[in-house]
Amino acid sequence: MGNRITKLVVSSVLVMTLGVITAAAFTKTVTIKVDGMKCAKCSSSVSKALKATDGVQEAEVSSEKGEAVIKYDDQKVDEAKLREVINSTGFKAVAAPQQ
Amino acid sequence: MKPKFVLRIVFVATLITFSPARVLPQEVKAPQFELRDINGRIVRLSNYQGKVVLINFWATWCPPCRAEMPELVRLQRVHRKDGLQIIGITYPPERKSQVRGFARKLKVNYPIVLGTRELKARFSSDETLPLTVVINRDGKVSDIIGGILLREEFDEKIKPLLIKEVEGGLRSGKSNH
Repeated sequence: MGNRITKLVVSSVLVMTLGVITAAAFTKTVTIKVDGMKCAKCSSSVSKALKATDGVQEAEVSSEKGEAVIKYDDQKVDEAKLREVINSTGFKAVAAPQQ
Repeated sequence: MKPKFVLRIVFVATLITFSPARVLPQEVKAPQFELRDINGRIVRLSNYQGKVVLINFWATWCPPCRAEMPELVRLQRVHRKDGLQIIGITYPPERKSQVRGFARKLKVNYPIVLGTRELKARFSSDETLPLTVVINRDGKVSDIIGGILLREEFDEKIKPLLIKEVEGGLRSGKSNH
């Protein structure tokens, strides 16, 4: 009986760990420079549009730094789409540096 | 206590806990105003009683405000027959000639008036631009949307107000045409 419970606990922990690892593997964070975001009154539209995008988990936008830090699920959305969303708010996502 | 009774309590508690909460701002009568639009015509909020009015605070120097305007023009065109009326109010500093040029370029199909900080403050203390105040058919503020108006927000917060009247009109045999 005790052996069965131990097995059950161990397998549950394994399944949960695997789930966390899988979720973490799909989560990415990117910092995108945003051009023209000088008006603090206007920058909330960028975070609003990003947060409404499927796959975006967190979006922190700073008009002082002129950038958006986005945590996203790369199975649902990619960086190109995030740039597109930023551009749709009237600002300009600076192109990613060539690698 | 009987198990059936306990089950009932649990069921009701679950329903209350997980039912979608719709916390709307307290409906207050929208502040009235009378201003001239960029073409010299007088715009009175009271003239639009019975319509769903969106007051859009914007500025030519605000990129998201400019970005959302083509969508507002589209919404005005598509939903005019449903009783939607958009009024654009600029936020200073603005030059009338610049606003007029911008509105002409975008073929804006709703009135635009030059506003003041005080006028915006009468509707909301929120500093965000653009800012859209939703006024229902009874002339009461039903929502204030900060930032660019997303399509999902229109569907969730504005469309039901338009549909309500269409349904009411159908029930009472009125025609919308």
